[in-house]
Amino acid sequence: KKAGTSGSEVEVTWEDQQNINKFGRLNNRLHELHDEIKTAKEACENFEDASNELILTDEEIVRFQIGEVFAHVPKDEVESRIENMKEKTSKNLEKLKEEKESVVAQMGELKKILYGKFKDSINLEED
Amino acid sequence: MAMAMAAAAGECSSYTSEVTERRGIPAASFVQDVQSYLNQSGLDVNSALAFLQERLQQYRVVEMKLLAQQRDLQAKIPDIEKCLDIVSTLQAKKESGEALVADFELSEGIYSRARIEDTESVCLWLGANVMLQYSCEEATALLQTNLENAKASLEVLVADLQFLRDQVTITQVTTARVYNWDVHQRRLRQATTPKET
Repeated sequence: KKAGTSGSEVEVTWEDQQNINKFGRLNNRLHELHDEIKTAKEACENFEDASNELILTDEEIVRFQIGEVFAHVPKDEVESRIENMKEKTSKNLEKLKEEKESVVAQMGELKKILYGKFKDSINLEED
Repeated sequence: MAMAMAAAAGECSSYTSEVTERRGIPAASFVQDVQSYLNQSGLDVNSALAFLQERLQQYRVVEMKLLAQQRDLQAKIPDIEKCLDIVSTLQAKKESGEALVADFELSEGIYSRARIEDTESVCLWLGANVMLQYSCEEATALLQTNLENAKASLEVLVADLQFLRDQVTITQVTTARVYNWDVHQRRLRQATTPKET
């Protein structure tokens, strides 16, 4: 998004500039959050699939990836490891979603303020 | 506020934020009033616009550099976490007295099996073709330190990028204002010039 101003002589104060800056920063963060949420969702799905596969398998020892190798780990341990990873990722996903809500709300507020003062002279929409 | 009073007194037509630069990145000065900004800097509109454009270019170059550093750090952190994971797995195996059996990639698509019995020490890749042997505890400590440093560096980097983006936004807005001011001036001049029939 570009904060562009055009047309007539409305005074831009330092406070306005700071609001515009903040809007820009929030917008960047929104894009980052979008990607991070997508990654976290995919990870959750993968853990779900892995859990399901684990239930179906009748092997006692499962090859579980640790670092760059596949370690031979007993099924029970793999189950609890995956549970932990699932738990951690869901908590993180929740946190990201909350942050996104907050960012969107703040951006809404700033839009009201900036459009209120500058009306058509400013564009805060996505290209 | 002291700053607002100084501006009102007309002592300076551009107001700079509290910081004039951050780690080598110059801050963009905020322009209160385009007319006095141009008078003070002694530049005509085109030169001012050119200067602002040049500044913008410089900021972009720094941004590219910082983004590359950020990508490197973001890749490094999960790597260190993976290493910590495997070292702690080795330690756990040591305590239980069992050997760790693992399949590892020998070559693309080809895996081989390894039986790791002696888990007294691990070797850590330090870079520059150097690998050093550590006890599991020392390795964990070293990796933990590296992880914390990487995370701290990333935080500073993110703050740098935010500062930089603010300066870019200020410069963009100033450019638009100078340009608009010029358009406005031209319209005023046209209005006062008698039209030719």
